[in-house]
This record gives sequence, C-alpha cells and structure tokens, in this order.
Amino acid sequence: MATVEFSSLVKKYGPLEVVHSIDLAIRDGEFVVLVGPSGCGKSTCLRMLAGLEEISGGKILIDGQIVNEIEPRDRNIAMVFQDYALYPHMSVYENMAFSLQYRGFNKKEIKTRVAAAATTLGLTDLLDRRPKQLSGGQRQRVAMGRAIVRDPQVFLFDEPLSNLDAKLRGSMRIEIKKLHRRLGVTTVYVTHDQVEAMTLADRVVVMNNGRIEQVGTPEQVYHHPETLFVASFIGSPTMNLVPAEHDGTLLRLNDGSVLIRQPENKAAQPGAKMFGVRPEDVTVAEGPPPEGHSEVEVVVDVIEALGADTLVFATVAGSPFAARVPPATRLQPGASARLRFPNDKTHLFDADTGKALA
Amino acid sequence: MSRRTRILSHITLILVSVIMLTPIYWVVKTSISGENLFTYPPSIVPHDPNLFYYVQAWYTVDFVRLFTNSLAIAVLVVVVNLVLNAMAGYALTKHFPGKGMVLGFLLASMMIPFHATIIPAYLLTAKLGLLNSKLGIALPFFSHIVCIFLFKSNFEAIPSSLVQAARLDGLSELRILTRIMLPLSRPAVATNIILSFIWSWNDFLWPLIVVRSPDQETMPLGLVSFLASFEDTTGALYAFCVLVVLPSMLVFLLAQKDFIRGLTTGATKG
Repeated sequence: MATVEFSSLVKKYGPLEVVHSIDLAIRDGEFVVLVGPSGCGKSTCLRMLAGLEEISGGKILIDGQIVNEIEPRDRNIAMVFQDYALYPHMSVYENMAFSLQYRGFNKKEIKTRVAAAATTLGLTDLLDRRPKQLSGGQRQRVAMGRAIVRDPQVFLFDEPLSNLDAKLRGSMRIEIKKLHRRLGVTTVYVTHDQVEAMTLADRVVVMNNGRIEQVGTPEQVYHHPETLFVASFIGSPTMNLVPAEHDGTLLRLNDGSVLIRQPENKAAQPGAKMFGVRPEDVTVAEGPPPEGHSEVEVVVDVIEALGADTLVFATVAGSPFAARVPPATRLQPGASARLRFPNDKTHLFDADTGKALA
Repeated sequence: MSRRTRILSHITLILVSVIMLTPIYWVVKTSISGENLFTYPPSIVPHDPNLFYYVQAWYTVDFVRLFTNSLAIAVLVVVVNLVLNAMAGYALTKHFPGKGMVLGFLLASMMIPFHATIIPAYLLTAKLGLLNSKLGIALPFFSHIVCIFLFKSNFEAIPSSLVQAARLDGLSELRILTRIMLPLSRPAVATNIILSFIWSWNDFLWPLIVVRSPDQETMPLGLVSFLASFEDTTGALYAFCVLVVLPSMLVFLLAQKDFIRGLTTGATKG
C-alpha cells in the first residue's frame, strides 16, 4: 500500500497540452475514481502514473518517492486494462503467473499466490482455460487476478467495466468494491461512467479539458458541485440549469416573467447567474407554496415512467427542466403544472466563471 | 453471389488450376516413366510407372551432399531471417525520430534488383573471406524487407494494451518480442519461414558466383551439373527436378494455412 501524489502534472503531445498542471494527493488505501468525459485527460493521468506515458512536466510520487524516471515494471503497480489485455496464447494460470516468473518467485510461491487469487475471484475451475474460452466477466476477473497476485502498492483500473453488459457491470462493481475492502490497496480507477464513480469511490476526481474540476466524496460532488461542469456531469438526469439574472434581492429568469426567491447570501453580487436544482428535489406543486420554497409554471413536454419513479420533462425560460416525481403523479404531456423546489436545495453559479456561489 | 456466377467462377478456377498443374504433372509423370515430350503417341497416363529414375538420379550425383548443403544453408537463412526480420519489424512499430526516412529507405531499396547488387555483394563476401562457404552463400538472404514489413503489420495488429501489460509485468523489449509478439504472429512467422526457405533453396545465381568447389554446391547447381553431364537421361533429369522441388513444396504445405493468413493480415488491418 502507498500514497500517490500528482504535483503540477503536465502532459503535452508536441505543442498540444492535454493535462494542465494537476495537483492531487491520494491517501494510503484510498479508492479514488477519476471521472470525466472522453478526452478530459483521465486515462492520460493514469497512464503517466503507470509509466506508460512520459511526463511532460511536474512530478508523480508513489509512497513519497518520485517515479518520473522509474520504469513501469519497477513502480510496483498493477493495472487492469479496458480490453483486459490477457495474453491469448496462455492459459488463465499462465496469465496470472506470468509476471511472477519475471520477478524471481519460485514455482511453489507462484502456485500458492495464483491459487489464493483464483479462490478469491472464483477462478479455480478455469485455470486451464484460454482467454477465448471465457465470458467477458470471467476475463475481467482473470485480469484482476493477474493484478492481485503481484501484491502491488497501487492498483490501476482503466475503464475495466466498459466492455461488459449492464447487468454484469453491476455485479462486477460490487466485486471490485469487495476486493478493495478485503485488500485495502490504494486504487486509482478511471471511468466515464458516473454511476461507477459514485458507487465505488472513497473520493471522486471530476476532470474536464485536462483540469480537475472538483475533488470530493461522492456526496460532496453530488450535493455540493463546485462548478457548472460538475453540476451538469454528475447525476442522471443532470441538474436543471437555467440562466438567470440577480438584481440584488431577487433572482429573475431570463424571460423576466418568472421570479425565483433566493437567499441573499447565494448571490451577493448582482449579475448573470446560472440557477440549478436537482430533478429529485423538484415536486409537482399542490396548494400554496410553503415557507422557503419556490415554484415555476411549466408546460409538460414528455413523461417517462421508469417504474420506481416518473421523470417529467418541461421547459423553463428556454432551458430543459426535469423533475423526478413519484409514479402515482398524474400528469400528461401538454398539461400545465407548477413545479416546486425548496430554496435550500438550489444552487447558484456565476455565469461567467462557472464557479458555485456559496 | 448467384448460383450461375458461382458455377462460372468455379469452372474458371478449375481451368486455371489445370493450366497451373499440368507442367507439374508432366514433370512427375516423366520422372516415373521416362517418356520424353516427343514420345508418340503421347499419353496422359504414364506407362509402366516405377522409381528407377529416382534411384538413378540419387546415385549419378552425390545427392546427399547437395541436399545437406542446401538444407544447411536454408535452415541458417530461415533462422537468421526470423531473428533479424522480427526484431526490425518490432522496432518499426515504435515511434522514433527519422522513422519515416527509415521506412522510405527500406521501401526504396526494395526497388533495386538483386542482380544490380551482385558485384558489391561479391566484393563484400570476398572481403569477409566467405567465398566458397555456406555462410557466404547464405549471407545475402539473411533479411528480406518484405518479411520485415510483414512482421511490422502483424505486430501492429496486436493490441497495444498487451505490450503495455507485458511491460508492467516486468518484461524487457526483447522478452516482449519473444514471449508475446512472436507467439501471437504465427502467420507472419510461417510466411517468413516459407519465403526465406524457398528463396534460399531455389537460388541459383548467387551460389553459382560464390561456389568454387563441388563440395559446397547446392541443389540448383547440382541440377545444372547433372544436365550438363548427362544429356540423354530424361527420366533421371525429371526425377532430379522433383527431388529439388519437393522440400520447398513440403515446407509450403506444412505452413500454408498460416501462410495465407499471413499474406492477408496486412490487408485487413484497420
């Protein structure tokens, strides 16, 4: 186990800078998920940590030691790849034992380690098979087994579940979580899937355009997004974001006709803002609004009944606006409705900088 | 493809096959019957087939010496080709300054016919003191650019994550080549074996230039000596031809499945 630290980490491809001076400290035994859209630099950071990409600037430290110039094989890390990267010409046993053979382990020790990892991952009956004879989930477990036998300081996962179907992804998520709890190894996990990020991480690192937007627990990034990007990236459906204008005391939507009351401390400076509220904090209004709540008049565009709840999609001042309501709620597309939300669940962002306003 | 088109294409293929196989059949037929081209009436089926002419060819020249010389040179060529071409092909999958120039240079050198380089090759071989030796005969065949590019395209088709995983597993570049890339490039290996074996086995001109004593003669040189010395031995001459060609055909048949895949790998890579 070890700590991992990125210090002013930069990656350039020729003149193009794709990772811009990132700072991040990962604690010993922590499960950190780097999440963001394609091309945000999360995999590049992981590959620099693994030693598979050269570092253009800054430092990477593993357990306090700078590893910039250390070969991948000497960093004592193990990586699970998106496509599993199992050697197709070797059996499951050979795949798992392969790295140990090159690290001076004797046959008995190799056998013991492989057997232990196989038992942990339920692979004991598959050790003689070739990768092509395995299902996607089994291959994924072999890839994890290959990492486990090494007993590394740090585990790296590069979108390991993206090739699996939705059901298998769910069960493998639980397997990975259990495994981390059992082994307690520092883990860096890259994904573009926010569900994986939220369910697996001790801390989530949300990245965009080669920069870190926010680092925090899943609860922090969900309930207290620090930027517009985090607010719009985390959550499904994503946070409702509507342009608004603060005149010093009241928050008006851009069409000027609708008024949303905001606590004054959220928008001390008058000017252009982005107003946000999570769909699950929005209800269909009945009766007069209670204290500390606001409402907007909408015309319902689409209704999506998901079984456990129903999504209502409407438009507010030209922006899409969604509400997650109980399935018993009776609404039809085209109908008028008042949607209500508590003021203390709303978010306000500076329209220019995208930063959240306290 | 419609049924009519399929039948037509099959008929065409059969006709082409017959045209291609007729000379081979004629050589084999003559080698077991001794009937030359002008035998009248000509026959398709050999009369009184027997192996007499093979025995005659075997004892007329020192067949074992010719065969072992050719085999030793071919094996040397195949092994060195595999090592050098695979290493060069692997190096060309990497990014390095001047890679485009190296590739251009290699491709350009393919346009120079071997015959144009015979004099410098001869002088070099002489300087190295390798004239009239098996190593001297094998030397110009130690690497083929076609095979280097074949390895390159095969290696590039292997997912890069496998190489990266091997690197994390602690393998050196040489180990990655031998333990990961080569086992996963069987078509390229088979193609390299077949091509280098056939090119070495069948070559006549270079051995003719560098060989000065009969004890270093290869099969094609033996065939010419045989032809010059024994003019009136149609059956034995054809039997000798069959014996010369047979090892190449055997090597091809043994590896033809991977060979065909090897030739198409580069074409289908995205």
